[in-house]
Amino acid sequence: MKAFLAALLFAAIAAVGVSILLNAIQEPSSVAFTTGGARVGDPGHNLVGPNG
Amino acid sequence: MARMKFLCDADRCIECNACVTACKNEHEVPWGINRRRVVTINDGKPGERSVSMACMHCTDAPCAAVCPVNCFYTTADGVVLHSKDLCIGCGYCFYACPFGAPQYPKVGNFGSRGKMDKCTFCAGGPEADGSQEEYEKYGANRLAEGKLPLCAEMCSTKSLLAGDGEIIAQIYKERVMKRGYGSGAWGWKTAYRETIES
Amino acid sequence: MASFGRFIRLAVGACVFLLVIAASVPCNAQQVNPTASSVKEQQLLQELNRIQGRVSIPDQRSGVLEQPAGRDWREFRNVTLRWIGGIAILGMIAVMVIFYLTRGMVRLESGRSGRTIVRFRAFERFVHWMTASCFIVLAISGLNITFGRPLLLPLIGFEAFSEWSQWAKYAHNYLSFPFTIGVVLIFLMWIAGNIPNKVDVEWLKRGGGIVGHDHPPAYRFNAGQKAIYWIVVMGGGAVAVTGYELMFPFYLSGIEGMQLAQIVHSVVSVLFIAAMLAHIYIGTIGMEGAFDAMGTGEVDLNWAKEHHSLWVEEELAKGPSSGSSPRPVAAE
Repeated sequence: MKAFLAALLFAAIAAVGVSILLNAIQEPSSVAFTTGGARVGDPGHNLVGPNG
Repeated sequence: MARMKFLCDADRCIECNACVTACKNEHEVPWGINRRRVVTINDGKPGERSVSMACMHCTDAPCAAVCPVNCFYTTADGVVLHSKDLCIGCGYCFYACPFGAPQYPKVGNFGSRGKMDKCTFCAGGPEADGSQEEYEKYGANRLAEGKLPLCAEMCSTKSLLAGDGEIIAQIYKERVMKRGYGSGAWGWKTAYRETIES
Repeated sequence: MASFGRFIRLAVGACVFLLVIAASVPCNAQQVNPTASSVKEQQLLQELNRIQGRVSIPDQRSGVLEQPAGRDWREFRNVTLRWIGGIAILGMIAVMVIFYLTRGMVRLESGRSGRTIVRFRAFERFVHWMTASCFIVLAISGLNITFGRPLLLPLIGFEAFSEWSQWAKYAHNYLSFPFTIGVVLIFLMWIAGNIPNKVDVEWLKRGGGIVGHDHPPAYRFNAGQKAIYWIVVMGGGAVAVTGYELMFPFYLSGIEGMQLAQIVHSVVSVLFIAAMLAHIYIGTIGMEGAFDAMGTGEVDLNWAKEHHSLWVEEELAKGPSSGSSPRPVAAE
């Protein structure tokens, strides 16, 4: 039983940890699909919401 | 009832990108989302050709067919739209779309790619016509005001046509007859399962 | 002299007049097609099955003007995959039901001895349960993507189904990491005991104890378990690789590669699920005394002698200091 519970706990922690890590390296399209020189000012948030 | 279609007369397109600019401006499309784009084939070589491409609003849309949450719908005009409230950002519609119309705000597919965005034929979305919520989620709704998509309206050479499929097919046929040549309606076979004999 | 000048003016005027008339007549015989040497859509589609050009925007995928392969992928994903998955999973369930009703649970012929022997240590059980529980969630969330829309959406409605699918997708993507870690650990932990050998051939020939009532000898893992091991390692490896390809779209491949990744991922997954259903069956209701192996880690000595006789001999030969010598079941 202990092994099973430890397994569930480890899986949950690993999943949450990975989600934090991956969201930190997530690239929005406003950065990925624009060249450096074009990035002046606000990329705009219409259509994609405040976090896009 | 009119069945809305796009037609890009590839013999007239001069790659000016007015259609792209018009769309970007009308809907305040953020950076990195490309609802409409101009693709140039054989650039710089003899036989160079440019075609303006966005969502073709296909008959039997493949994006709608593969969506795991069924967030797409087709209006009575034949315009293919979707609900961003239901979209889970899985990316399947991009794999199915022959024209690469779906756009996503995020690059990585961990969790979600964000809500899919695409050309709406200037017909907004499921929210109330002309409302602020509709504009913020889907952009301007010109069709509800009785206007046609701005990309076609702004086309400098009138190569991009948008509107009732029968009427624009007729316009294209007349052009082909008058000038004696025409490369056909690009994308029509894939999107609408029909060709315009030229 | 004046009349000659008038003649010249008349002649020139007539020539100019004729020139103007001639120029205004359309030259139908010389109609020019300036785009005659340009590419044609059907020609490009026939040659390459995709049309691609140059775009001025940084998203290079937008250079693909048409990719009709999306149509074939749609057909596979909506039709073919659902048939494969349906037949594999429902077929396996049907086979299991029929098997249980006819053969029943494989009983311990000599009955419980009351003495146990350690079969799996704590770490091994930890890894197994971590992989298994992740697999359950991954299987359900994965099946939701393929079968949720026709089966579940009509029952709970759009908003609820989208919300559920959203969370299922998060769970699927993030639990894939502990699952992959588990598969790697399983591969490393148990590779030594899962190399096929002649004993396995004999075991299979004698029906493995499941076809008929024989008790062919086996080492720690019998041929059936070795099959499951390799299915997990290779199937798990395949779904992990293709799954990460899907999670990092277009990092490794173009759109055809992504479609192929989805095809491999989904087909391997549904077959994997069918195989795991059989594994779960045999480890729970299919065989008396089997669950103890992963449940407590200790199995009845008679069970071990009946099903893994060669392994028991090895363990007992190691002597009482090895920790796996039989001892009475502790009162719990």
